[in-house]
Amino acid sequence: MEQNNKKFNINIVFIIAAIVVFILLPNFVSGYYIRIFTAIFMYATIAQCINLMSGYMGYLPFGHVMFFGIGAYITAILMGRGLPFILAMPLAALSAIVVSIILGFPVLRLRGHYFAIATIGMNGAIMSVAQNATEITGGAMGTTYPIILLPPGQVYNYFYLAFFGLMVITALIMYFIVNSKFGYGIRSIKANEEAANSMGINTTYTKVSAWAISALFTSIAGGLYGYWMSFISPDEVFDLMFVTNSIIMMLIGGAGTILGPIAGAFIIESVSEFAWSGFMEYHLAVLGIATIMIVFFVPGGVIGTITNRIKNRRIALNKKAEVTNG
Amino acid sequence: MVDNDVILDVRSISKHFGALKAVDKVTFQVRRGEIVGLIGPNGAGKTTITNLVTGDLRKTEGEVYFKGTNVSKMQPFQIARIGLTRTYQVVKPLQGMTVEENVLVGSLFGRSHRENDLNHAKKNARKIMKLVGLDKKKDSKVSDITLPDLKRMEFARVLAMDPEVVFLDEVMAGLNPSEVEESMEMVKVIRKDKQLTIVYIEHIMKAVMGISDRIIVLHHGQKICEGSPQEVCDNPAVIEAYLGRRYAKEVMNNK
Amino acid sequence: MSLQMLINAILLGGLYALMGIGFSLQWGISGIINLSYGAMVVLGSYLSLIIFNMFNIDPFISMFFSGFLLFLLGAFVYKFALQPSIKGGIVFTLIVTFAIRLIVENIILLVWSADYRTIRISYAGSNFQFLGTFVPLTKFLTFLLAGALIYLTYQFMMNTKIGKGIQAVALDKEGALAVGVDDQKMYLINFALGTALAGVTGSLWASIYSFSPHVMDVIIGKVFIIAILGGLGNIWGAAAGGILLGFAETSGATFLGSQWQEAIGLVIMVLILLFRPHGLIGKKFFG
Repeated sequence: MEQNNKKFNINIVFIIAAIVVFILLPNFVSGYYIRIFTAIFMYATIAQCINLMSGYMGYLPFGHVMFFGIGAYITAILMGRGLPFILAMPLAALSAIVVSIILGFPVLRLRGHYFAIATIGMNGAIMSVAQNATEITGGAMGTTYPIILLPPGQVYNYFYLAFFGLMVITALIMYFIVNSKFGYGIRSIKANEEAANSMGINTTYTKVSAWAISALFTSIAGGLYGYWMSFISPDEVFDLMFVTNSIIMMLIGGAGTILGPIAGAFIIESVSEFAWSGFMEYHLAVLGIATIMIVFFVPGGVIGTITNRIKNRRIALNKKAEVTNG
Repeated sequence: MVDNDVILDVRSISKHFGALKAVDKVTFQVRRGEIVGLIGPNGAGKTTITNLVTGDLRKTEGEVYFKGTNVSKMQPFQIARIGLTRTYQVVKPLQGMTVEENVLVGSLFGRSHRENDLNHAKKNARKIMKLVGLDKKKDSKVSDITLPDLKRMEFARVLAMDPEVVFLDEVMAGLNPSEVEESMEMVKVIRKDKQLTIVYIEHIMKAVMGISDRIIVLHHGQKICEGSPQEVCDNPAVIEAYLGRRYAKEVMNNK
Repeated sequence: MSLQMLINAILLGGLYALMGIGFSLQWGISGIINLSYGAMVVLGSYLSLIIFNMFNIDPFISMFFSGFLLFLLGAFVYKFALQPSIKGGIVFTLIVTFAIRLIVENIILLVWSADYRTIRISYAGSNFQFLGTFVPLTKFLTFLLAGALIYLTYQFMMNTKIGKGIQAVALDKEGALAVGVDDQKMYLINFALGTALAGVTGSLWASIYSFSPHVMDVIIGKVFIIAILGGLGNIWGAAAGGILLGFAETSGATFLGSQWQEAIGLVIMVLILLFRPHGLIGKKFFG
């Protein structure tokens, strides 16, 4: 017991130290790195959401980017009507939640492959709407955001901190969810959905709630992204690549852990940047090959493998103690 | 006529799969605190009835009343929450979780599902695990434990839900004779300790006859006999169901 | 619907049918949602392009070569990349097939760039008249060949030892294993067959339309719909699904304007998933 508490405290110290470091970092590095970190924080957030659905609950929402796009577009549309970002973004997030609940009830009845494909279909359909409802969304050409009213030097920092804050908040909330009673419900669904039902878990409610929570943070990421880029187009913000990247990050970092998606985001973005700058012509292939290799050799993900090693060592130590104490 | 002792009232339930009548207008009642044995040859419909009562399968017709409430249209999770539970013949452990976590889930979502206190639920889970003899294995992953332990865990899980009625669906399947003895003992102990009502579905005659207060016999989806263990053993229809007409005649003639 | 539209729809549907079958087989029988399928089709187009440019051979002939090469590629990919990923579940296989798509896309970009390419067959413009409608020769040949290949595939599944083996593992894996069928080999051959069909489709596509890496995504969207319409793993179902999609696109383009076409296709697919996950056609396999 003593050991557990000590370990817990050390982890918290590390995390707080890391948070402080990241908050201060923009003062010491160039805009190039600030941009990369900002992207990492954004992907980490989306990866957390995918992780909740897939890593913990066992439902892979391959078309999850639809909420990213909804967040981006509704924020853009509302800002275009004069609302400030601080109002538009929450409203967009609310819309995403509503959509997830309405679509969630029917579609979460599907399992496995079918659920994944259905979400891809939904994403495509919503993207089509964005492409065709030209009067509202600007059509396939895309739409702009009002430029953020900050001196150019501070813009980078603003989004860096905003995405960092989003990533930290999302991770914290995921942590509390996963360790709560609701979290047990979620994990039981992945473990054995039929048994979960017979044990008194309202699986429908659990599934839809989990999806709504994932939709919430993903849509906030979308709204921030649009504001950051100042310009969005349908095939960009509804691009499956966002989700695919997040899935890879989740796998690399470790599905079913809280730090996993964050670690994964760092690793993949670094590989991606390295591939892009070092191998620009080959960067897709490098990404592809790296993905396959990582998926094969580190199936539990980085965090997953580390956690397992620690657990195994602890079990071995306990066994040893048992034997010596007789 | 309201009998206050009747906790489960199954009224003429049926399940048709196309032309096949897996369960055909079965009616029975279970009184509080009883152990009712449910027996019958393979394919008689015992597990199907369990599925129908607990909501895992939709009824073609008929109704089920639990503690006076009509639960016929309820979802499995709702039925579980009011205290009507079951175990699975082929165990359904929560994969990827430990034994303790499995039992904990039962504790969290059973009849005390309104409670959100994880610690309290954990304490409850640990008590139950001790009762069935699983406390030493609480941190083992379910993929690492033996079949008898999995069955013990399934039992513990359902007990953690604080149920009033438990359908035990062939908990002995796959156990060797000494494990069967242990299982019987455990059921007896727990019934006394927790004042449970049990519907005991089993093939192993020794176990059913030894534990049950009353027996219901199914054959081809229909109830063919109901009574004390002795009455059931002597019933010609039951003998015929198990042995076939020719041998039944022999047995009857030899009496 | 005018006769011309009807003819157009059928011709288009034939190509789609062939295209959808490969993907449906891979998903329904080998259990792999192959996100690189579109890439394989397009690769077939480019292979025919090379052969045409070098030897002036028609895509209708070089399609056999595409099919053969892509069969080998499919077998290679399945054996070394997919078979090991299956135990990781759908997440792994989706990611791995997506990664393969990236690699193929990169190769195509390097060799041919993102520009649209065409195969300029000498008789590309010619058509013949049929009951007052115009039937382009290339589309007609495509339709015929597609139909022949679908029939051949069906015969292969029904009447060859391997085909029956594939059916066996699809219908009842344990039973098949019990009688000595090598299930992994069947899944592999089935998958390779799927990519072969993709390659052949690509060659046929190239005889009619222009192509570029972008077409990959267009195709993957369509084959999803076709597979789901027809029921996974069902050859005639996928064929019917292809024809249906051909009809939907042709009439949708006329009545609604081609922009909403894709949205409608997707909405239909989602609705089918929700209400008839085994496809409009029903039963799971070949029947």
